Amino acid sequence: MEQNELVVQMKGISKIYPNGVAANRDVNFSVKAGEIHALIGENGAGKSTLMKILFGLERPTGGEIIVNGEPVHFSSPTDAIEKGIGMVHQHFMLVPSLTVAENIVLGMAPRKSGLFIDYKQAVDLTKEYAEQFNLHVEPTARVADIAAGMKQKVEILKALVRGARVLILDEPTAILTTQETVGLFRELKELKAKGFTIIFISHKLNEIKELTDRITIMRGGKTVGVYETDSITEQEISGLMVGRDVILTVEKDQSEPKEVVLQVEDLNFVNEWDKRVLDGVTFSVRSGEIVGIAGVEGNGQRELVDVLFSLKLPEKGSATVGGKSLIGLPQAMIRELGVSYIPEDRMTFGIADIATIEENMISDRFNQKRFNRGPLFKMNELHKETDQLIVDYSVLCKSRSQEVGMLSGGNIQKVVVAREFSSDPILIIADQPTRGIDVGATEMIRKRLVELSRAGAAVLLVSADLNEVMELSDSLIVFYEGKIAGYFDDGQWDDIMMGEYMLGLKRQSDEEIARASYA
Amino acid sequence: MRDKRMTMFNMLRGAAAIALALGVGAIFIFLSSDEPLTALRYLLIGPIVSFRDSGVSFNAQYLFQIFAGMIPITFTGLAVCVMFSANQFNLAAEGCVLAGGFVGGILGVYLNINSGWHAVVCVLVATVVGGLIMLIPALLKVKLGSSEMVTSLMLNFIILYIAMHYLNFHFADRSKGSTMTYPFKPTAIIPSLVPGNSKMTVGIIVALLATVLIAFFMYRTRWGYSIRMIGINESFSLYSGMKVGSTIVLAQVIGGMLAGMGGSLEVLGRYQTYLWRDLPGYGWVGITIAILAKNNPAFVPLAAFFIAYLNKGCLLMSTYCDVPVEMIDIIQAAIFLFFAAEQFMSGFRQKLVVKTTREDLMKLETQRRLEGGSNNA
Repeated sequence: MEQNELVVQMKGISKIYPNGVAANRDVNFSVKAGEIHALIGENGAGKSTLMKILFGLERPTGGEIIVNGEPVHFSSPTDAIEKGIGMVHQHFMLVPSLTVAENIVLGMAPRKSGLFIDYKQAVDLTKEYAEQFNLHVEPTARVADIAAGMKQKVEILKALVRGARVLILDEPTAILTTQETVGLFRELKELKAKGFTIIFISHKLNEIKELTDRITIMRGGKTVGVYETDSITEQEISGLMVGRDVILTVEKDQSEPKEVVLQVEDLNFVNEWDKRVLDGVTFSVRSGEIVGIAGVEGNGQRELVDVLFSLKLPEKGSATVGGKSLIGLPQAMIRELGVSYIPEDRMTFGIADIATIEENMISDRFNQKRFNRGPLFKMNELHKETDQLIVDYSVLCKSRSQEVGMLSGGNIQKVVVAREFSSDPILIIADQPTRGIDVGATEMIRKRLVELSRAGAAVLLVSADLNEVMELSDSLIVFYEGKIAGYFDDGQWDDIMMGEYMLGLKRQSDEEIARASYA
Repeated sequence: MRDKRMTMFNMLRGAAAIALALGVGAIFIFLSSDEPLTALRYLLIGPIVSFRDSGVSFNAQYLFQIFAGMIPITFTGLAVCVMFSANQFNLAAEGCVLAGGFVGGILGVYLNINSGWHAVVCVLVATVVGGLIMLIPALLKVKLGSSEMVTSLMLNFIILYIAMHYLNFHFADRSKGSTMTYPFKPTAIIPSLVPGNSKMTVGIIVALLATVLIAFFMYRTRWGYSIRMIGINESFSLYSGMKVGSTIVLAQVIGGMLAGMGGSLEVLGRYQTYLWRDLPGYGWVGITIAILAKNNPAFVPLAAFFIAYLNKGCLLMSTYCDVPVEMIDIIQAAIFLFFAAEQFMSGFRQKLVVKTTREDLMKLETQRRLEGGSNNA
């Protein structure tokens, strides 16, 4: 195959989902044979949708797809596989109870006397491919028993066995350890050398610089540019990705922390796979300060928030607000204590999508006396409250009776935030409050967080966006493998230093970490 | 703009589903009947119009009969609306109608209250019994996590056979040719609103009052609000601090109460003795009605009227033509199918969505261009 031949061309692709979200708007995307091509963009930029279209999982609303010079119409992944396109999903599509070999031949298993699956041949086939592509897997191991890195190899082999020449990898390093990532990159480069084409979806800039030949950057459902990887710096990429200077500065005065509001003491949590995800976590959040929790995702932050909002029960330890224990408390009671919560997964926990904006705004306060007269709602009061919140938090909408699911991501989050911030909370738990939303909404939400903390609320900010935690926090806790790896309260931090703690290269002494607790 | 279009679309979709369902019915009529056009005439306009040699005339009695037919299914329709709104696929409205009818009937025979209050007491007790019965699947769901669909479906037959047992061995009037109770006391009978034998009783007024009450309950009270939010997104409701478990129980108890009330009004309004020996079927029709009404109580009487009208039409068709009365089941099933099919006309909907979204985007672009430079907010 000639080096510069385009294997995949997608022209003028648009995709409008049934809920009216325009995920792709006239996107052009093309990949040369034998290259590793990065597709990069923020959450919600439309990269997953574009790749789902290429793999036949979604049908485009408009545009055309050309594979190896011929126009194609994929109505299912089977069609895409037939044309030599394979996809490795972010979340593995493997059957855990089957062996590696069984997974690899699933749906195309070699037969013995026409009826029975020839397991030995499946194992041989797996070995043969593993050998050929230098992707070492254990064919007879059960998938449930193997590590994430191995699973990924199984997924890649699965695509190769099915004849894929173009491999789509959706954020393949998200769940891998550093060593596994190094291994994966070596394998991908080898595949490239053998003439395979790889589309690599990611938002980790260093990986993209290291691995890829060309980059397509997407933002807001559109392509913003295609570049040779060598010709562009990480700063330039991030600038194009987000369409702004990455660090939004928020003005804030020195915090004057007062009494302890949230006290977490020796919190331990063991997950369903017997992994200790929280390991003796102790810290305080005081009135008037923002405590940020930084860390690579999957180091216990999620579990901490879940325990604090009573979704999970810890193995041992305590968490108290104003002296009252949160452990196992019904959510209604937690709210009564004055705790507000901005959930990470706003579509599941933050809103009821087909209900109106009003119905979503009042969900935590509809029981209050001021909204009820006898058995009936005071509709006027509810309308007044909602309209006020819509104005205060500049929610862009047609009216309070519009379905909340029809709003843009940023406006949906504004609805959530308007509700959570306006209930006079003494503690706000903000989990990824600005993930995947537009700049305007992000700025507004950050500003409000600071305002509320300066007015006396205690704020616990959990965010995977390092710039966000560094910018907003008065003190910073770094999580690494379920433990606090560092506590900083001097405001003197930068991303390099954070990185060292987040990746486990450094750890403070126990005395320094103990400073996180003010009890 | 979009919302208006979507409302229009939903109405169009509903009308198309009904038209298609009637079309399906018509196909079967043409297949099975020797006089399909006469049959169709009886089905479609027969319920309000009489055909005599002297010509065509409006038939008020028929209309009253349709209203009478609306009574039990309005109640079950409301019951199912409330339960489905909470996302509880509870099918025991059927059993609760029977239980309400049975309890109301027995009290109508044996209770001694020498005034109109007799009927009132019968109906109220039946209402309470319906609610109590629904506690069973509701509590099983909330406390033990058992699927309310399975338990409620099975519950119907338990109720049926318990009622049958007591009817056969305790309350049957042995002097009669078939199994039935002694006649109701006159004080227990639900009075008719109009002269004649149409059975259009006070029940229809109670049904309409119940509709208003439930509509207010669902859209103007904190309990109705909780029920609807839990139905849309239970996780969201839990995180907002709603009492999810008790609200789920509440929705089902209200459903049971409505069904029980409907059953007793039907039994004491239509018959002289209690004689149901099988599930009456109103609970199932209630599901069709709730689907037609899109779980909005305000639309229930409309849907109930439509079904009662079709019922009457089918009855006439089977009386005067060679089409069996079961045709109603085919038409109902077809309505069910087209209404419940999420993807029905989705292509058309998608085109609408695409068009509206494009327009919105254009508007946004122009707006941005107009604001450009001077204002970057």
